[in-house]
Amino acid sequence: MDELLDDEGRPRDVAAALYRFFDEIGVDELRERQRSCDLEILTMGISFTVYSDGQNIDRSWPFDVVPRMIPGDEWERVERGLIQRLRAINQFIDDIYNEQRIIEAGVFPAELLDDSTNFRPECRGVRPKYGVWAHISGSDLVRGGDGTLYVLEDNLRVPSGVSYMLENRVVSKRVLPELFETYDVRPVDAYTDELNRILSSLAPEGRPDPTIVVLTPGVFNSAYFEHSFLAQRMGAELVEGADLVVGDDDCVYMTTIDGRARVDVIYRRLDDLFLDPEVFREDSMLGVRGLMRAWKAGNVAIANAPGAGMADDKVVYAWVPDIIRFYLDEEPLIANVPTYRCMYDDERDHVLAHLDELVLKPANESGGYGIVIGDRATPEELEEAAQAVRADPRNWVAQPILELSTAPTLVDDGDEPIEGRHLDLRPFILSGRHSYVTAGGLTRVALGKGSLVVNSSQGGGSKDTWIVDDSATAGMWGDWSAP
Amino acid sequence: MTLLARTADRLHWAARYLERAEDSARVLRSFGELFADFPASGLRWGSLVAVAGSDARVEPVDGSDDNPVAHFLIADRDHPNSIAMTVERSRENLRTCREVLPREAWRTINDLSIFVRGAAPTSIDVRRRERFLDRVIDDSRRLDGVLQVSMTRDEAYEIWRLGRYIERADMTTRVLGVRAANLLALPPGVSDEFGEVQWMGVLRSLSALQMFQRATRGPIDGPSVVRFLLFDDRFPRSVAGCLSEIRSSVLRLPAYGEVLAAVETVDAELRRCRPTADDGVELDASMDRLQLALAALERVMHEQYVEH
Repeated sequence: MDELLDDEGRPRDVAAALYRFFDEIGVDELRERQRSCDLEILTMGISFTVYSDGQNIDRSWPFDVVPRMIPGDEWERVERGLIQRLRAINQFIDDIYNEQRIIEAGVFPAELLDDSTNFRPECRGVRPKYGVWAHISGSDLVRGGDGTLYVLEDNLRVPSGVSYMLENRVVSKRVLPELFETYDVRPVDAYTDELNRILSSLAPEGRPDPTIVVLTPGVFNSAYFEHSFLAQRMGAELVEGADLVVGDDDCVYMTTIDGRARVDVIYRRLDDLFLDPEVFREDSMLGVRGLMRAWKAGNVAIANAPGAGMADDKVVYAWVPDIIRFYLDEEPLIANVPTYRCMYDDERDHVLAHLDELVLKPANESGGYGIVIGDRATPEELEEAAQAVRADPRNWVAQPILELSTAPTLVDDGDEPIEGRHLDLRPFILSGRHSYVTAGGLTRVALGKGSLVVNSSQGGGSKDTWIVDDSATAGMWGDWSAP
Repeated sequence: MTLLARTADRLHWAARYLERAEDSARVLRSFGELFADFPASGLRWGSLVAVAGSDARVEPVDGSDDNPVAHFLIADRDHPNSIAMTVERSRENLRTCREVLPREAWRTINDLSIFVRGAAPTSIDVRRRERFLDRVIDDSRRLDGVLQVSMTRDEAYEIWRLGRYIERADMTTRVLGVRAANLLALPPGVSDEFGEVQWMGVLRSLSALQMFQRATRGPIDGPSVVRFLLFDDRFPRSVAGCLSEIRSSVLRLPAYGEVLAAVETVDAELRRCRPTADDGVELDASMDRLQLALAALERVMHEQYVEH
């Protein structure tokens, strides 16, 4: 289905004014505006880094001028659903690293922890403030063929993309000013302020004016632009591991031109395993020796907390509806995609019998790696996948192939200048003393005709996402987000 | 406001590289003008290579539009001090300091870098060169303008200024040093035939001709040019002018004791210089000593603020 056009190809209510505007300015002018976007992105230096042919290449951020629109009333339900989901997931992580009530109750199987790649036994017994481990998360949402919004995965480790969401808005405001007069679009730029507040609230006791730093793996990381962006917007220091040191007092310090300065909160954009060579990978040059000691002593807050990624596992994902029911005694407000867990004999048998109709996913890969899409794979690939499942059932889940929704996109290679392209949505959810959900999120769009790959490293683009408030559009898509 | 030691280092070099790009552009631009006044045989493109601090052997093709020296100084990506590479290195350093600078500053350097990447290879030709050099100088100035009106006078600001003025002082000594070397290279008994034009070229390459004439009424001769470029602290490209800016920035940094001492050493060297420019021997030696003192200042700053 298309989000802005109905089955007859007529603009839905929310898109009526958009299409009137396109008719008014014509395709040539729209392409001209697209060029203005590209130029703006180039001079603003909005880029991402790809590693290719042994080189790090800084590429301009790909952006489609046609905005994606979501009615405000639908978005409010999504917001409530995301907050609910993250509340439950955070209680789950806290429980797993402490009492493990959910295991005792027989709701979650203990054996899943034994070979979970993101469960960190080193974190047992730690109690971060407010019981929150995943302070910043970016759940990926997709809309199925019937319009239902599903959570596809919960990114709880170091989700990226929020800077592009914010920059996309800056660009589209400059390039489509008329539309912002027509539409009541919810602003997005409160995000960095909210992030700053959440991070400040994590500071150790007795640190009323906390120093916050953003810890980056460095300039060669694909998301370096974002790390720098967030530091700029929060007035925080952008540090690398080598800038930090843990003192004899188990406190963290950064090296300034005036000696050492205490650090209270670290927003780390570095994987768990690189954080502290004393505890995790000994060969990590990116981390800080003693950081885990300082964190466990309560002398520094780390967001997201080490170990939070244990719930960011595609097998654990299958349990999230149960996790919501167990901790909150509520029904999930946003649907999970039905998920078959290959660790169970009956579910695995079903998966192996229907491989060509399913999407097969490894439990702990990100960026779309290792995924087998049943109806697009060759018989050899399917056989290979079946063998991988049999060899390590715990590491695989399968889901039905979703008919991802499309939205109109300005294209060069189509029959028409504007054609539907598949997309997803990554809203960002902040959890701490309070919760916050971005108004919309980062929309990624697969630019190739029929393609389902939205990753920017693999030819995906992006769109500005508009949460539109207008009584005329209320309820026009029906009550989709209720499961 | 705190400033990370590593950020200070990168910011400092971003400033030096950008100043180097701008100063090279000024020198090159003045050389273009000088050609018009000069018999082709008397002008050495080789001096330009020396000003750029390189001893590379670039085969000069005097007066030709397709000039390997101009290419070497403008577009050569294997020459670390070509304008293309200094702008690129300034941008790469600034990219890692964006959180301490106003947003517009990044836009300015990024803009310049996009322009240089595209235009440098086609700006060797004399007809396009001028516009290219103007743009480099203008954008470099624009960036300082942005900082001037929108940046807090914090440690990062002072570190930036230090990079600018140390590089600028260094460039002034190098331009004078190369002139001294030219004088030294004259065969014994041969008079400095185009002396006045040469000294005018020195002033022009430091964008100092008009200000020199306003300050020094009279003919252009070696000693007065040297005196002006070394000692007139009202002129912002003179060594004394740069030093006084350097001193005022150092005084606003933490724990500056040893750094200030290094500034005073440069100042002492400056005062030992004699503007007796005629044979070049004295001038050549003085400029060497000044450059060494500036390099020592750079080292002390690094030890104090970056390495500790």
